[in-house]
Amino acid sequence: MHAQTWPAIGSTQAAALAEDWWIFTYAAIVVAVFVWGLILYAAVRFRRTARNPEPRSQKDANPPLEIAWTVAPLLIVIALFVRTAHIETEVEAQAKVHQVEIAVDGYRWGWTFAYRGGPTVRGTAEHPPEMVLPLGEVASIRVSSSDVVHSFWIPDMLFKRDAIPGQVSAFDLTPTKEGTFLGRCGEFCGLDHALMSFRVRVVAPVAYERWRKGEATR
Amino acid sequence: MSAVEAVRVTAPERHDILSWITTTDHKRIGVLYMATTLLFMAVAGLLAIAIRTQLARPDGTLLQPHAYNQIFTLHGTAMIFLVIAPFALGLANYLIPLQIGAPDMAFPRLNATSYWMFLFGGLVVFAGAATNEGAASAGWTSYAPLSEIIISTGLGQDFWIVGLAMVSVASIMTALNFVTTTFILRAPGMTMWRIPIFTWEMVATSLLIFMAFPSLTATLLLLFVDRRLGGHVFDPAFGGSPILYQHLFWFFGHPEVYVLILPYFGVVSEVISTFTGRPLFGYTGMVLSAFAIAGLSMGVWAHHMFTTGAVNNPFFSFVSFLIAVPTGIKFFNWVCTMWGGSIRYTTAMLFALGFLMNFLLGGVTGVMVASPPLDFHAQDSYFVVAHFHYTIGGGSFFALFAAVYYWWPKVFGWRLSERLGKINFWLTFAGFNLTFLPMFFMGVFGMPRRIYTYANAGALPQLNAIATAGAYLMLIAAVVFITNVVVSARRREPAGDNPWHGYTLEWATSSPPPEYNFRRLPPIRSARPLWDVEHPKNAEAR
Repeated sequence: MHAQTWPAIGSTQAAALAEDWWIFTYAAIVVAVFVWGLILYAAVRFRRTARNPEPRSQKDANPPLEIAWTVAPLLIVIALFVRTAHIETEVEAQAKVHQVEIAVDGYRWGWTFAYRGGPTVRGTAEHPPEMVLPLGEVASIRVSSSDVVHSFWIPDMLFKRDAIPGQVSAFDLTPTKEGTFLGRCGEFCGLDHALMSFRVRVVAPVAYERWRKGEATR
Repeated sequence: MSAVEAVRVTAPERHDILSWITTTDHKRIGVLYMATTLLFMAVAGLLAIAIRTQLARPDGTLLQPHAYNQIFTLHGTAMIFLVIAPFALGLANYLIPLQIGAPDMAFPRLNATSYWMFLFGGLVVFAGAATNEGAASAGWTSYAPLSEIIISTGLGQDFWIVGLAMVSVASIMTALNFVTTTFILRAPGMTMWRIPIFTWEMVATSLLIFMAFPSLTATLLLLFVDRRLGGHVFDPAFGGSPILYQHLFWFFGHPEVYVLILPYFGVVSEVISTFTGRPLFGYTGMVLSAFAIAGLSMGVWAHHMFTTGAVNNPFFSFVSFLIAVPTGIKFFNWVCTMWGGSIRYTTAMLFALGFLMNFLLGGVTGVMVASPPLDFHAQDSYFVVAHFHYTIGGGSFFALFAAVYYWWPKVFGWRLSERLGKINFWLTFAGFNLTFLPMFFMGVFGMPRRIYTYANAGALPQLNAIATAGAYLMLIAAVVFITNVVVSARRREPAGDNPWHGYTLEWATSSPPPEYNFRRLPPIRSARPLWDVEHPKNAEAR
């Protein structure tokens, strides 16, 4: 099972989310390195030495400069916002028809996956349930909870959605990589929060159908 | 020097225990506050060591889950409510009247009430550990319905609610005192645009407390009604709303993080200005950006709820991004304050520089988690744990120590050892980054926060081992600090009135200052009255 390392980025949505991560990581690194550079340069260059015994200037304002460093970051964050809003719309878009619809219910400390017109998979902390998904098909996942707030998190898909009692929250997931991925509860829910995991197994559509029928007759 | 002679006849100062219990002197209350928060910090720090020891290796067995949950709940609650925020309140208690040339707070008795209420509130929170089912264990956020009576049956949760309600009310009273004092008790000549930056940041902090803490008090009260008086405010089974709890909590909770940082922006500004020998660059921009941050921070609370699917993510995302602008202004001003200076690397200055380096990473990762799609992965993972420790730990906590080393000689009249102080700094800096830098990767690799154990797979075991080693390095740093206090207290190297060549009024009086603070005040003609005294030909006119 793929777990606890670099995310596999195993869905269409995750590809868009990964783009968001890269944009923001690069932006953060560029800004941080630039400002760290300024801080360290000033810290070393203007340290007190025999040749620099006194501050050489008491100047304490420079309005054009101050306006510049107000406006420039403003433009940067506006650009970042536009991009991030676009990606969010893309990730949260939901298809009109779904091949697979799964109602996810979180409870202390396990999950139930109820397939529409199909089997219901139950699991506990000791025996985590497995969600089987067909490769390349759009699955609609509708998350809720029976007791406290949980969060349905698949790190390899870079996505989680809170499971809140009294509320159903839906999103689409289109797997693009076969394999088994670790899923876990993201929101602290008490004693065995650490063990409240599940597995997501992505298989070819044919294998998925076979699994579905097998589960139904069991 | 023309001077204003204070004419006051007072009895000789008493130093017995009763005089400390009954004191209404803002300086003594400030010292009580700061000493109390440092003791709470020692406890909360040891709890952090317990957390890191449990997580040092996969499948840890040192702590049972119930014990672990109590420990991280108390660690977070204590560091936020009983250490970082109230230390700033204590420091401000000590400094605001001194910085503005006032004899005391506007409401000295209310001030004493605030301190005692804070102390007992803190003790009540910890006392929960002595109840049958132990202390609160639902996290510092205590989300409903997890914190409701059906799930969290223990009295510890009620102790947590009652204790924090006391702390909350105490903070509101203190904020009232700060604002009133700053607005009406300034010495002649101390105009609004000459108020020292630390005091300004505390005014902004106080306004945030006014707006945010009533929401905390209300949330706690409603949770108590649910738990003990049969209410169903947050109980979905009876039409209550768990999301409402999150809204109410974060309406307080996000401004709270700025309550945790604004005072320390003030500290760092003062320290950098003094040790570079230059005025604070962009003073006006610094003051305005503090209020911009305070204002914006009231409109970002739901960025803690991006994964609920129940809030308008783009709105809260955009306002959160905007906070980067005034924060950036502060960074550039700090750099320009150093520019052209002659920087003396005292321990206080090193901690301030450490603040700049660490907090920058907290800031840029803050912009990252303000992006909702990114948060879909990062939310409630160790990425967020790393981010907020870089702000509150790498930021506020470092500035707190800058403040301790900077104002210690003023408070006690003797200095801390600079040699031990520098060892203290470098160990803290190395330990801090070793602990929290790996956590960004833990989060990306899928480690949820608040878990007492993790499986032996992937890269998590190695990363956690490194983080734990860093935590122990910080523990050694803490021992060095305590040693420094003990050794320096024996040596009692006299500090003099103005050991660092500071410019603000607290350095114009004796160390420690007398009751009612000033025997005489220098003329106040700029934001740096003591600079003007030292450089009569080159005085600033503002």
